[in-house]
Parts: sequence; structure tokens; C-alpha cells
Amino acid sequence: MPNFVLLNNVAHKNLRVIRDYYPRYGDNEMSAITFAHEFRAIQNEYPIFFQKNPENGKFIPVALLGLRQNENLFLSERGWDAQYIPASIKRRPFLIGIQATKPGQDNNQPGRMVYVDMDSPRVNETQGDAVFLPHGGYSAYLDSVVELLKYIQYGTELNERFIDVLLHYELLEVVTLEITLKNGNRNNLAGFYTINEEKLNALDGNAVSDLHSKGLLQFIYMMLASHSNVVKLIARIETRIQQNAP
Amino acid sequence: MTAASFTLKCPFDLFDILFDKNYNKVVRGSPMSDQVTRVVIVGGGSAGWLTAGIIAASRLGQVQVTLIESPDISPIGVGEGTWPTMRSTLQLIGVSETDFFRECDASFKQGSKFSRWTSLSAEDDYYHPFTVPAKYHEIDLAPFWLPFKEKINFANAVCPQGAICDLGLAPKLITTPEYGGVLNYGYHLDAGKFAPFLHKHCVEKLDVNYIRANVTQINSRDNGDIQSVTTDLQGDVTGDLFIDCTGLGSLLLGKHYGIAFIARNNILFNDTALAVQIPYSSTTDNIASHTLSTAQTAGWIWDIGIQSRRGVGHVFSSAHTTIERAEQELRSYIQPAVGEKMAESMAIRKISINPGHREIFWYKNCAAIGLAAGFIEPLEATALVLIELSAKMIADQFPANRSTMDIVAKRFNSALSHHWQRIIEFLKLHYVLTKRTDTDYWIDNCRSESIPENLQELLELWKFQSPWLHDETLRIEMFPSASYQYIYYGMSHTIDAPGNKNNSKLHQAENLFMENGKTIQQLAKVLQPNRELIEKIKEHGLQKI
Repeated sequence: MPNFVLLNNVAHKNLRVIRDYYPRYGDNEMSAITFAHEFRAIQNEYPIFFQKNPENGKFIPVALLGLRQNENLFLSERGWDAQYIPASIKRRPFLIGIQATKPGQDNNQPGRMVYVDMDSPRVNETQGDAVFLPHGGYSAYLDSVVELLKYIQYGTELNERFIDVLLHYELLEVVTLEITLKNGNRNNLAGFYTINEEKLNALDGNAVSDLHSKGLLQFIYMMLASHSNVVKLIARIETRIQQNAP
Repeated sequence: MTAASFTLKCPFDLFDILFDKNYNKVVRGSPMSDQVTRVVIVGGGSAGWLTAGIIAASRLGQVQVTLIESPDISPIGVGEGTWPTMRSTLQLIGVSETDFFRECDASFKQGSKFSRWTSLSAEDDYYHPFTVPAKYHEIDLAPFWLPFKEKINFANAVCPQGAICDLGLAPKLITTPEYGGVLNYGYHLDAGKFAPFLHKHCVEKLDVNYIRANVTQINSRDNGDIQSVTTDLQGDVTGDLFIDCTGLGSLLLGKHYGIAFIARNNILFNDTALAVQIPYSSTTDNIASHTLSTAQTAGWIWDIGIQSRRGVGHVFSSAHTTIERAEQELRSYIQPAVGEKMAESMAIRKISINPGHREIFWYKNCAAIGLAAGFIEPLEATALVLIELSAKMIADQFPANRSTMDIVAKRFNSALSHHWQRIIEFLKLHYVLTKRTDTDYWIDNCRSESIPENLQELLELWKFQSPWLHDETLRIEMFPSASYQYIYYGMSHTIDAPGNKNNSKLHQAENLFMENGKTIQQLAKVLQPNRELIEKIKEHGLQKI
């Protein structure tokens, strides 16, 4: 269970974070949340689908990393083999928390605070990058984490807008990935959703214009283009099978 | 990669056709020749509005539906339990399941649990779940279960649903789409909220014409058809087909046409119900997802949990007990939940049931649906499902013109007569299998003169072969033979010489029993308590896909 605590330069002055990616750090998930404005980078390497958040049933875009539970085909003992690491992975072990305004506080905006998961195996005081400078200021690493968290924060809101519009135009459909490997092993992936191309192609001018003016049209096409990366995932599996063969 | 696949069958194709521009023209005014285009439903309530919704949604643009509701008569509001059919009905009508949960105080129903029907023992109970036994159409598991009957009850051996109900878990997840289920389910709902919910949708989305007035007179054509009804506030309303949803008054079919009422109190004795609504002890109490039915000395008590309250009622035979005694049994039943003081003071509503139905259900250009057609104790929650089934039959086989109406009416009458007969037999089955002899009520229920001939034959047959597919005569029986199995074996009846035990299937049967045990364990891990899921649905909504 993660144990998120508010980051501060007194209690955490010696905190260091290991920034490598290995199965032992819990990075071996089969999918990672992604964000619409991140699709451009993601679609170059990973297939993008929607999954439902098991907590509330809402759709979330994910980058597919593997084809079975707890399988990340980009990850090995040599690290994460890709040009781009999804922001939702890169942020670890930090996240943004929203603190409710206290009565009597000047600004009415809820404060956005950085939290750190103290139970993350990345967190320690000897290895990795320092979070704070010796006198307590933000390290360049922490500055970059804050930027990343802001990026994620914006992405979360953008995702909601994107999905609301897709639902409004009824553009989502269920997709089942049926994968047959060279050795005959079959694997069915359920619980994923994507854009229904037939419905997309049948949208009238007003709808397309609406999507375009909201800046969302490009995300739809990037998502569709990303699907060809499923082939790359299958190729990674085939390579692993060959390497493990006696 | 393949295209989308979706296990729940959606009526979207149907809707695509119905919304097609070619059809998108409501036919108004006087029709050509003898075409049937104007349906007038007299009476609101669950019966009136479900019928309006089903016909209007199925025949959108082809038929104009008008519903006349009296401002002076309030619906009786019985029928708070549905069958799983309600999911496809609501989907057909076009309401969202999320809205239904938000507005009708609804909860899940996964079946019924019968307590103390076989004996007086506190451990005496069994489930009639909505999910049929595993691989039911391939294999009859009953004979294979019999040797283990002391170790595991029938329902728990062949289906995971009873165990899931006992754990208080919901039949689906927040990620399951609207109207889809992990396990089969229907609903418990507040009838007082359900009718207004349907009303709003019918008027706003389905173009149903609403008239709030009392019907004061029925005007006939030369051929004996109803031409129009006169109302006190809105003048005459003319129609081609009239549907009598006037409840126990049966204004059109009963009063106007004088269609005889066939009493069935010689078979089913219960004729009175006392109903009470009790609060949960706290807002976090879990909600049961089954109807609990507990046998009493001269009847039984229903217990239905919806979001905000429990509805509890005692239905009994007034020939076998006094109303005071029945009331006392009801107050004793609710006492553990509400305390002695509240149990003694809570207001109780009395409902009279004249068990039986009309001789026919469609005469000339008038069909009756709901209590206007018949009324029976709510032992298997047949009220709403009969409304759905009747309205769907009319919508699906809607007569194009007056000449074909009599043919459709004939079919309707024959199907409904069959369904009523089977409902009565199936309800009676719950009584005749009892081993209770503590009161005359239970003894009288087992007297052969009170048991319909067909049921007597079935009981004779089941001494040697278990109830199974051969017992189904219609393509769609209201109670499939699986239901008979759940009651028959649930009430500890066994067969002497298991005729349909096919020993070559022993291995398959053993595997299915084992798989069922595993399924229960897996489901127990992923499903969440009813109230938690219902709260989530209300907060986040369910997705449509």
C-alpha cells in the first residue's frame, strides 16, 4: 500500500530517489495512464487504448505496455527499453495532492501540494538523486518533478474533457485484442475501448468542427495511429520467447 | 485485432430503424380505413406507464400513444420487485440505468430467499436465484447433486448467486456497462417513484400524449368496439386500440365489457396483505439484494430492501387467521429492526387481494394489463413482469388494422391464459412441497382438491425424473424448468429413481460443481457490497458501453 505524505524540506531533507526502472520497483504493469497532450510522444512507441478506472468506471487513456497481467514488455533487468517513458511512470514516487483551503486563508484556491510515497522502494537516503539541496532549496530534479506533476494535473483535466466529448458523440467502442503467437499460444485481451472509426467517419461537419475547435481531433487520430504498435508488442514477446528457448 | 464485441444484446439496431427518417413521422388525426394507429391507455401507475413506454418506444412514429390518468385515483403501488426482464424493458424504453437508480430508489434483486417454508427450523431456507444452474441446457445437474444433498444445498451447488446474496454483494461492478451484469439481476424499486419516472420519459422523449382527467363514459361503435372515452376535463378521446390499466376497477374490460373474473382462491388462499415501511438503522446498513420471504402460520412476510427503506408486508389467508393475529406477526417480524416501541406504533396499510384473473384479456379493441387483468399474491413478483410481457406482446405483434386485431387478440388471450395457469401452479408448488403441519393453513394447502390437475401430474412425474427442459411447453415460459428445480430441491424433495441421470456425464457434473465453488470465491473477491455499488452508481454513473 502506498504511504503518501506531504513533502517538506525538514523531514525529507536527506531524501533521495532512484530514477531507474526495474521490475523490483513495481514498474511491471501491463498498462500506464497517459494523457491526451502526451499522445504525440506515446503513439510513437506504445498502443493507446481506453480502460475503465476500477474505482469509478470512468474511462482513462492508457499506454499498453504488455499483453498479460504484470507484464511490461519494455522492462527488463537492463531497465526500460524505450525512447519515452510515460509521465505517469516518470512521476514516481511523487504525486500532486489537493489540500482543502483552511478557513480564514487568504486565497480561496485549494493548494496544490507535492506528496511522496514513503513506502516506495525508490525512496531512500543513500542512492539516487537528492530531492533537496543541502540548505533546503529545491534540487533541479525536484523542479523537474514539479513541472511534471503540473503537466499531469493539466493532462488529467484534459482527459476528462476529451472523454466527455467522445461520449457525447458516442465515439467509443469495446475492443477485444485477439493475439495468436507463432507458437500457437493465444491471448485475448478484454476490458479495452477505442474510437469507433465508422462512427468517426460518419460525423457531420459541425461535429468535426467542434472537435477541431476544442483541439481534440488530433488526439483521436494519434490514438488510432498508435494501434499499429500492437505489432511491436507482439514482436517483443516473440523475441522474449526465442531468447528463453533452450 | 477484431471489432467491438459486447455480450449484452442491445436494441440499438431496432432503434436505428425506428429513428430512420422514413419513419420519423407521427401519424395523427383520423386514420385511413381501418388502420390501427391510435392507442389509448386508460390509467397510469406502473402498468399504464410501462405499457405506454414499451408500445411508444417499439412503435415510435407509427403509433400515437395517449395515456389518460385520473387525478383522483392514486396507484395501488404494489409491485416493488422486478425480474431480470426489466433490464431489457428499461433499455427498450430508452432510459438510462443510472437515472433509474438515482430517481427510483432502486436496488439490485438477484432472486428470492424462502425461509421456513419447508419446516419450522430456523435453518430452513433456500434460494430461488435469477441465474440458471451451470450449463443448464446441456446437462441436468440435479441427479448428480442428490448424493451430496446433506453436504450442500442445491442452489449453492449449481449456481454462485445464493452465496453472493448471503455475502450482501452486488451482481455487477462499477466498470460493467449499463444493463450488463456479472450475475443475472432485476431490481427492487419504489413503485411510487417508478411511475412518475416513466411518465416524464414517456412524455418528453417518446411523444406520449398525456391527459389528466377522469373517464366518465365509454362510447361504442356499431361493432361493439370502443370508439372513444369521455372525460370530465378534456372531452372525448378517440382511439383504435384501448388498453385498460385501471387497476382493480377494470373499468373497460371488467365493468364495460363485463368479462368474467375467475377467482383462484380455491388454489391460492392468500387474500389480504398488511404492508409497512421501515427505516434502516443507519444509512450505512447494507441492502439485501434478494427478496426475503419468511413463512408464517397462515401466510408469509415479504422483506424488500431499497435504498432508503425496507418494505415489509404480511400476506395471508383471512380464512385461516384473524387480521389482529396477522398484524401481530408482522409487528413481531419488524421488532428486531426497529425496536419494540416503533414496531407497535408504525402505520400499517391494508391491501385486499382477490386472487384470480379475467376470463380473457383482450376483447374487441380493448386489452387489459396490470391489476385490471388479474391480481395474485406477490410470492414470485409476477405483477411487473406480466405487465412487461403483455405490453411487449402487443407492441411486437401490433395489429396493422382492425381486421387482423382479432387474430392478435386470440393469440394474446391464449398466451396470457397459459401464463396465468403456470404462474398459479408455480406459486402453489411453494405450498404443496411443505412439510409443515403446524396450522390448518399448511395442511389445507396440501389437500389434493386445492392442487391444479396439471401440477398434480407434474408432482407425480417428478417422483421419478427431475423437473427439466421437457417440462417447458411454450417457447418462452415465464418460469423456466430451472425455477421448478430451485423450488423442488430447495424444499428438500428428492426423486426416487433419477430417470434423467446420464452416468456418462458424471465427470462433467463433478467439474461443474468444482468450478461453481471456485467462481463463488473469485466473485467474492471482486464484487462489492450492494450499497457501496449503488452509491457509486449514483455518484459516477454507469457507462453505456
